[in-house]
Amino acid sequence: MNPFQLASPTWMISPIILPLIAGLLCFLLNRRTFAIALAAAVANLLAVCFLTYQLLLFGPMRCHMGGWQPPLGITLRSDGPAVLMLLMTAVTGLAITVYARGYFSHRILNLRQATQHQEQQRYFWPLWMLLLAGLNGLFLSNDIFNLYVTLEIIAIAAASLAALSGKPASQLASFRYLLVSLLGSLTYLLGVVFLYRSCGILDLDILQHHVANGPGIRAALALMSIGLLLKTALVPLHFWLPPTHANALAPVSVILSGLVVKGSFYLLFRLWFEIFTQLITPSALNFMGTLGAVAILWGAVQAMRQHRLKLMVAYSTVSQLGYLFIAFPLSRIDESIQVWSIVIFMALGHACAKSALFMVAGAVFLHLGHDRIKDLNGVRASLPIPVFAYGIAGVSLMGLPPSAGFIGKWLLLTSSLTSSQWWWALVIITGSLLAMIYVFRVMSRFFVIPEDYSVTTSAPLSPLLEWPALIMALISLFLGLAASWPMKILATGNTALTQVFPGGLP
Amino acid sequence: MKTEKKSIRRIRNRGKRLDAWQLLLLFLLLCLTTVLGTIIWTMPENTSGLTDAVARLQEQSGVESPVTAVLLNFRGYDTLLEVMVLLLAVIGAWSLAKAPFSGQAADTGPVQMGVVRLLVPLMFLVAAYLVWQGSHLAGGAFQGGAILGAAGVLLLVTELLFLPAIPALPLRIGLVFGPLLFVVIALFCLCLTGHLLGYPEQAAGGLILLIETACAISIGLTLASLFAGGHPEDDHPQSVNPTEHSDKEEWP
Repeated sequence: MNPFQLASPTWMISPIILPLIAGLLCFLLNRRTFAIALAAAVANLLAVCFLTYQLLLFGPMRCHMGGWQPPLGITLRSDGPAVLMLLMTAVTGLAITVYARGYFSHRILNLRQATQHQEQQRYFWPLWMLLLAGLNGLFLSNDIFNLYVTLEIIAIAAASLAALSGKPASQLASFRYLLVSLLGSLTYLLGVVFLYRSCGILDLDILQHHVANGPGIRAALALMSIGLLLKTALVPLHFWLPPTHANALAPVSVILSGLVVKGSFYLLFRLWFEIFTQLITPSALNFMGTLGAVAILWGAVQAMRQHRLKLMVAYSTVSQLGYLFIAFPLSRIDESIQVWSIVIFMALGHACAKSALFMVAGAVFLHLGHDRIKDLNGVRASLPIPVFAYGIAGVSLMGLPPSAGFIGKWLLLTSSLTSSQWWWALVIITGSLLAMIYVFRVMSRFFVIPEDYSVTTSAPLSPLLEWPALIMALISLFLGLAASWPMKILATGNTALTQVFPGGLP
Repeated sequence: MKTEKKSIRRIRNRGKRLDAWQLLLLFLLLCLTTVLGTIIWTMPENTSGLTDAVARLQEQSGVESPVTAVLLNFRGYDTLLEVMVLLLAVIGAWSLAKAPFSGQAADTGPVQMGVVRLLVPLMFLVAAYLVWQGSHLAGGAFQGGAILGAAGVLLLVTELLFLPAIPALPLRIGLVFGPLLFVVIALFCLCLTGHLLGYPEQAAGGLILLIETACAISIGLTLASLFAGGHPEDDHPQSVNPTEHSDKEEWP
């Protein structure tokens, strides 16, 4: 078959190959790296849009690498969830690329130690491009060992990015992150070994039918889940996340918090609800839900107690990740597609809102030279656009309509009430209230303008630092209004969803 | 800063004696190992995995060694990504620090120099042979690359004077050469056969050998660069900022 025709599944490789080549070139040539990275990010977005279009036209597809059919060869697959995650990554990725440019040029031009910042920028681009390739590979892969390789790419690239700032605190945190990440990968790999030994299959589609209840498979599921939970930072395995995310450079924090944790979560979710469905017991689902509930409350309480803006945002990530796990016990009432829609909405909304928040935190840090919450008074006067973006992103975190966070939480609430598990609803509402407190705690600082306040004369921020944050925040806000589009993409090739929401969405 | 120093000290002190928690942890780890060991011991060994499938398609792969067939042909995409992992490790290491070369000739004894003179060319030869052997026996890019890396390490520990002076550009070209050629061939195959890494059957052997040779060189350089422990002196873009040099002194 001609690989370049419209219906060809081969197009699926472009979101992986494009950033990969860009990463290699960014490392090889040390000039014009931003142009290469920007071109790759734009091309990646276009390719993902094309994949979406293809999915809507032709339904889910499989791409066999090298033309070898499974079980021997590696398969890529594009379906609703995968394409939505790719879209999330591509949009956020483009915003990050633009923001990072603004961030580095600001630091190189306006601060001392220009050499150091130039060096950081020089290594940021190849690492970020390869990380993007790894993430896209993870979302598309349909092979349990290939998934491990993509996890490895993500782990090494993410840890190197986290260490980029060069401060002792960030190096300590990123070293711990590297160890945790590798421990997670290796635990996952051990699970793969168990699985391969008992089934002899690596392809997920075939594996689905070979999974039988036995000690070997159960051990494999447990090992893979623990490895991925460690990477996703679910309480109590979250200890590494706040220091790593808070001490990294601002664009890196955006990458880590907005995208990287979603990768391992997506894989975990796929394993639980597509491959090992027979093995999942209600108690296991409840256990995950309980951990999620603890994460929501604990993360929110910690976020309220922080004195630094970036740490607050990082703890808010811990809290928001909990919502993704609350969806687990709610899956019992419906087919998994309803859970998919909840999880996808929470993930999309969180990716946009959290990247906006970290971008704002980075801009505030560049402007003031610190991010102590108690000294943030009057930032509104000098940074109106980032403060606006902060407010909108906060709306999505709190779950007010019409944001994506609202749709996600609404779906969570309705399914917890219809399945008469009201206690989850209680946790969700409490979590939202706590989120409101920690968002407003900073917001109120922004708006208090002291008597003797004068707009500081430090260099104005470039628009590249302000607008990506606002655009991401607006996307998270209006995603709720356009909720039917993601639903349509999700439902393609899966007829169950149209019956779940006969009357449309709220 | 203070808290960081404190935590570093805490980490240092931690390894010196075992406290009750660590003993408990050790015990739990032993339990886990026992459980996992028992499971894998009692697991039914009913399947031969994918060995049969590999044996069936061996003839179409273009090589005689089943390991190479799996690595470079049937699951070549995995290997493509693995090669990227190695490159990522170098980029990560380069981003952290400059390679710590002393800048003076080491006091190398005649025996050491003799060994280096004798061994390094021999290692290059062995590496080339291992790559070549990969098509029919055990061997291939990773094995050959490991030998090349060892040769690089031997040169590095001898602290030869020309090593710190190697400019960054050729080094980067060498590091990227293998992965980039791999991607280019993968795309070339895409144009020819319609599948990424779907080699045309008669050219498969040659293309695989080409990829393996390029990757062996890059892997060898990768391992040696990791040993060197940082980026070369001149690996940053020419400064656009004229005040850069005065800034340099302020950096502690």
